[in-house]
Amino acid sequence: MDFPMLSVLILVPVLAAVIVMVLPANRTELHLPVALVLSLLPVGLAGVLFARFESAAGFQFVEQAALIERWGISWHLGIDGIALPLILLTTVLVPISIAASTSIAKSPQLFLAMVLLLEAGLIGVFSALDLIVFFVFFEAILIPMYFIIGIWGSENRIYAAIKFFLYTAFGSALMLAGIIALSVLQQQKTGFASFDYNELLTLEIAPGTQAWLFAVFGIAFAIKVPMFPVHTWLPDAHVQAPTAGSVLLAGVMLKLGTYGFLRFNLPLFPDAAVKYAPVVATLAVIGIVYGAAVAIVQTDLKKLVAYSSVSHLGFIMLGIVAFTQSGLDGGVIQMVNHGITTGALFLLVGMLYERRHTKLIADFGGLQKTMPIFAGVFLFSTFASIGLPGLNGFVGEFLVLVGSYATRPVFAIIATAGVVLAAIYLLWAYERVFTGEPDKPENVNVPDLNLRETLIFVPLIILILTLGLYPKVLLNRIEPSTAAIIDRIEATTDFVEPTFVIGEPSE
Amino acid sequence: MSDLIWSAIAPEILLVIVAALVLVVEVWKRPPLKSMALLIGAGLAGTWAAWFLQFSRLQDLVELGSPGALAFNGMVVSDGTSVIAELILLVILTLGVALAWPMLAEIGQRSAETLVLMFLATSGFMFLVASANLVMAFIGLEVGSISLYVLAAVARKSRLADEAAMKYFLLGSFASAVFIYGVALLYAGSGSVSIDALAVFNGRIIVSPGVLYVSMAMLVVGVLFKVTAAPFHAWAPDVYQGSAAGVVGFMAASAKVGGFVALVRIVGITFVRFSVDWRPALAAIAALSIVLGTLLALSQTDFRRMLAYSGVAHAGFILVGVAAGRSATESILFYLAVYTVQLVAAFGIAAMVSGPTSSGSPFSSYKGLASRSPLMAAGLAVTMLGMSGMPITSGFIGKLGVFRSAWAQGLEWVVVVALVASVAAFFFYLRVIVDMYMRDADEDTADVPDEPPVAGRLAIAVAVVITILFGLYPAPLLDLIRNVVS
Repeated sequence: MDFPMLSVLILVPVLAAVIVMVLPANRTELHLPVALVLSLLPVGLAGVLFARFESAAGFQFVEQAALIERWGISWHLGIDGIALPLILLTTVLVPISIAASTSIAKSPQLFLAMVLLLEAGLIGVFSALDLIVFFVFFEAILIPMYFIIGIWGSENRIYAAIKFFLYTAFGSALMLAGIIALSVLQQQKTGFASFDYNELLTLEIAPGTQAWLFAVFGIAFAIKVPMFPVHTWLPDAHVQAPTAGSVLLAGVMLKLGTYGFLRFNLPLFPDAAVKYAPVVATLAVIGIVYGAAVAIVQTDLKKLVAYSSVSHLGFIMLGIVAFTQSGLDGGVIQMVNHGITTGALFLLVGMLYERRHTKLIADFGGLQKTMPIFAGVFLFSTFASIGLPGLNGFVGEFLVLVGSYATRPVFAIIATAGVVLAAIYLLWAYERVFTGEPDKPENVNVPDLNLRETLIFVPLIILILTLGLYPKVLLNRIEPSTAAIIDRIEATTDFVEPTFVIGEPSE
Repeated sequence: MSDLIWSAIAPEILLVIVAALVLVVEVWKRPPLKSMALLIGAGLAGTWAAWFLQFSRLQDLVELGSPGALAFNGMVVSDGTSVIAELILLVILTLGVALAWPMLAEIGQRSAETLVLMFLATSGFMFLVASANLVMAFIGLEVGSISLYVLAAVARKSRLADEAAMKYFLLGSFASAVFIYGVALLYAGSGSVSIDALAVFNGRIIVSPGVLYVSMAMLVVGVLFKVTAAPFHAWAPDVYQGSAAGVVGFMAASAKVGGFVALVRIVGITFVRFSVDWRPALAAIAALSIVLGTLLALSQTDFRRMLAYSGVAHAGFILVGVAAGRSATESILFYLAVYTVQLVAAFGIAAMVSGPTSSGSPFSSYKGLASRSPLMAAGLAVTMLGMSGMPITSGFIGKLGVFRSAWAQGLEWVVVVALVASVAAFFFYLRVIVDMYMRDADEDTADVPDEPPVAGRLAIAVAVVITILFGLYPAPLLDLIRNVVS
């Protein structure tokens, strides 16, 4: 590729942030529309990426330029079938979160700039092929999110912002030690230093070293996912964050963890990955059941959605460490699905909060009568999240369960309980909030979705249906890349993917 | 003598001349501060020109394959390390004068003395970083240090300031005494005080190794005191909190540059054959400084005390590089360059927030600063993130550089300690940002500070640019250093 598509895609939101910041401060009516329009540019660029992307393994749209030559750091970008859907997801969710941020009153320019900078960072993380560049983006996105939670969050925002920052930073510090160790290892073996992903893939690492490197990378990503037992920052961050923050946090930022496992832990340390997969799978299943169980007893609607993320991300992790084609595919597509459905649910909770200034389930009741469109969208997103066949959630969860059943049947069976529990916590919440008669006077005159709010959900609903009915549009592009990961694991370890194919009888 | 290479010490000479001129003009004409600014500006410009002259001469030498040149009978050396260190000192002096200006305007009569002392201190530290001889190093160290003792008390209004200056003077002199004692012992054992010649001499020990070890320890301890490494840091919080606000950043930054470059020379050249002995010791001191500095910074209520303790931790980070040996020299210089600029800017902003002659700068003064003065808040936020080593800032590149070298030299444990501590350190760096951006001003908060004067704004802008630009694209600065440091 001659044209540096990915660099441009990273640069456009940065420039958009600068433009928003230099708008005259007193023209408040301009800020949000300008940011919204500018945030549509990356959507178009990502669309071009999607159209030009060839369904093949390996990295595409690659660009490389030396940054610090002697340390072996280069501006190396490129995407494969795993990064592409996540970049699409990011670019779609950002305009939606901006459109949903009309209630931000305190320095809206700074807020919009932070959201746009966050977008640039997220695209950077997903396209970086140099470990230092990856690390820089991985850490840098903490800054805008820290400000988004800390400045525009609710009452307990400062505590939540710092907790979020320190948890993630702690994981990253360990990972940085691992990255430095990898490059020193590379220098000792080849004579030249490099942080380049492709270079490091060729490195033969002793199993013992792999084990601790897998652990430090794994802990960093597990905190981000978040996996049980390092998930405790998530409910705080979500509940305190403003709606746009929650949408991007749950929609995209959590995927950095699962993406990291796929991009680094599995291909770079295959021995350790095979050896420690049962540990990861165990934690994933605990997360699925625990997250769901805790979600059932929540009294706060936003916290309920937050804990449902812990459960859903457990599914993704289970699929990833299954080391089967359907497991990995399911994991990747479920990352996108979760981003869309949980994004929709956080938007809905946010809009409800703007109307009633409460998130407690007990404060609501009978809203179906007063806001039918809202209730309809909520029920639709709920079904998508539960995994109703025909909607996107089903595809991902089904593939994950099939894929992990092939290698770890017991785990898959326990994980199925998570699907049932999801139905319980989400539908029960729906029942308490929307059904019956509005017996509280405040709930009688709640306005339904207005045009702007309805439009926000249109793209999400289209995506939920498309991915539910025709997931091939993404799976086609994902499959070669996930297959390459399994091939690499099979080539470097004695692991063999079980020949368990959907629709054909197994031996 | 053929080696009277004046260009090797031209910046130092110019600094001394400007200092002398300022003194004479002040006594003779008593000009207003504005006219004095012309003289200072011209002096700084001249010094910069002299530095460029020296730099281009060095580049020619490097192209011919020589690492640098000795001058004045082996007293001073003009090599990559000295030239880059002098560049850093010049940047600190320029930014320091710009940020000190509101204080100079306030203290009136003593403003000329302040400028003289700043110039003299810089010339002293320049001699220190360029010294090829331990006696020369001691003279440079003392010229710099004594100027700083006086600077500490230049705007004293409170007991805190008196205490700071007195403490600094007593403990600083003690450290200098330890240093010169080490030099004397080394001379007694070998008959030489030349940094290079001692390296050769130490290759074949004649005196008992005990004398050598004691003198090595004394030299190192004397310098570690100046750079506030633990456990020789106890004076720093009081001095940084109590000294004159307008110049404390300059004081802290220039002493660190001088001290660390001297340390790199002493352990890296004179005692290079004893790396087995000093490497674990320096690594242990580094770890102690990082952990102690971070832990103590966490519990501070005053911004300037916090910066002092964070400076202890930063001394530890740089020591990680020193312990890694000569391969880390370029990383150490990069680290010093960006950290000291951030340090000067942070103290400068503290002076703007709490007043140019204040002692101390409580955190409560920073509440809601973002809405009162967005420029200062943004500048301080960027410098704090830079000091914390956040990626996309040059602080990260600096840390990455020293950690890489240390890891490759088998000092993995120190790197892990340093990484974990830098996470804890986020807590106190972010605390300032929380106060500025996420809290509103209340009754504890000091009066609304004015927007900074033009010079102050420029200084903040320089610090922000250095922090962000060299964080995203560090190659220019790294290349500049690498091209002259062999």
